[in-house]
Amino acid sequence: MLTKPDEPASRTSALPKSLSLGVLAVVFIAELLLMFLLPRLLPTADEVVVGIADSIVLTLVVSPFLCFFIYREASKRKSADEAMAERSRELARSNADLEQFAYAVSHDLREPLRMIRVFLELLGKRYEGKLDADADDFIAFAADGAARMQKQIADLLDYSRVGSSGIELSPLESGVALERALGDLRLALEESGAVVTHDLLPRVLADESQLVRLFQNLIGNAIKFRGNEPLTVHVGAAEREGVWVFSVRDNGIGIASEHFEKIFLLFKRIYSPSEYPGTGIGLAICKKIVEQHGGRIWVESEPGQGATFYFTLPVMGDSSS
Amino acid sequence: MNHPASCGPVEIFLVEDNPGDVRLTREALKEGKIYHNLWVAKDGEEALAMLHRKGEYSDIPVPDIILLDLNLPRVDGRDVLARIKEEEELKMIPVVVLTSSEAEQDVLKAYNLHANCFVTKPVDLEQFMMVVRAIESFWLTIVKMPTRI
Repeated sequence: MLTKPDEPASRTSALPKSLSLGVLAVVFIAELLLMFLLPRLLPTADEVVVGIADSIVLTLVVSPFLCFFIYREASKRKSADEAMAERSRELARSNADLEQFAYAVSHDLREPLRMIRVFLELLGKRYEGKLDADADDFIAFAADGAARMQKQIADLLDYSRVGSSGIELSPLESGVALERALGDLRLALEESGAVVTHDLLPRVLADESQLVRLFQNLIGNAIKFRGNEPLTVHVGAAEREGVWVFSVRDNGIGIASEHFEKIFLLFKRIYSPSEYPGTGIGLAICKKIVEQHGGRIWVESEPGQGATFYFTLPVMGDSSS
Repeated sequence: MNHPASCGPVEIFLVEDNPGDVRLTREALKEGKIYHNLWVAKDGEEALAMLHRKGEYSDIPVPDIILLDLNLPRVDGRDVLARIKEEEELKMIPVVVLTSSEAEQDVLKAYNLHANCFVTKPVDLEQFMMVVRAIESFWLTIVKMPTRI
């Protein structure tokens, strides 16, 4: 007797709209029927009786439809909510699986790899110069490969561990986290003669050890990729559109724009390990840390002009310190 | 424990399921200067049988030091450690946990079970050799142990 437009999935705004349309249509049709039927069924009754009968019948006719629509809409909405919850559970589970996988792979691969490396080294140590020049080269290449793979696996393990036991957000002074990072980098800072300055830094909601690590990796990179001039690093923070935008600016060798995205990926490097040591884990860890805090990270730079890394952290209630 | 010059070889007991590590330890000990016998158990069950000198092991000497891996087939290294430290005749033997694990809970558990020390197997040859020699020199020449009856 009446049809309701079929909607793909119920949205909150669709509920009242379709419900009121349905009810209106039912009321309208029922009213039409009653207007024709009642006077014929009860020819002797007066208008008041017809009016009362009209409303009783109307209520009886409308109520089931009303209940039916409400039930249908509610169940649709419920199933949409359930689907959403299910999807997010699935996502969390697949993330956890992935973490678990990375951990297992990196952990369980270490043992056989240790054997490969150690015995290649023993082979090199015992037989260097006793076979021929080719054999010496081959052993050296194999041992070098094993050593590098070992470093990468250790880094992968490290990466998979970032926040794997859950991050603990608490209000803290980002300036204190920076000082702690600088303390850990003291030797490298002294050796490079770097000068690090900073703005007044805000109080933020963050995981302390992760924030320390974030500063440490970013400033560590500034030290590693410094240019010929004495290194200066400036850490700033500004509130913009409801988030704190931190910046770590250096006067190092800079980065070409085509690498802006790539540098944050796991094991992606611009330079060969012989030019700049490392496996390419540092910025991937930074990205993971920032994203676990619900922020984002990016870089602005030009080759030879230094680089500025930005990351965002949510603003706390009363945050300026 | 008394020392090599007067009492013959030092008895070193290695509990290790990985033949590669057994060989490495053997090589490292060979490079060291200490006159020793190396006894190897390749799982926890065999380790306990040897320590209790059961059956075919009735002739083997009581070890001067035990190098113990944690992850072992059959009887786990942690259980072997617990048994050693529970038994009157064995509990004074220094046990060096030598494992590839660096997990905090493994370290804690080992010391809770009265391991004498916990060492993570180094990932490169030089370090591995160095560690075995360091264990050897510390436990077998530097420390003073009670004289065995």
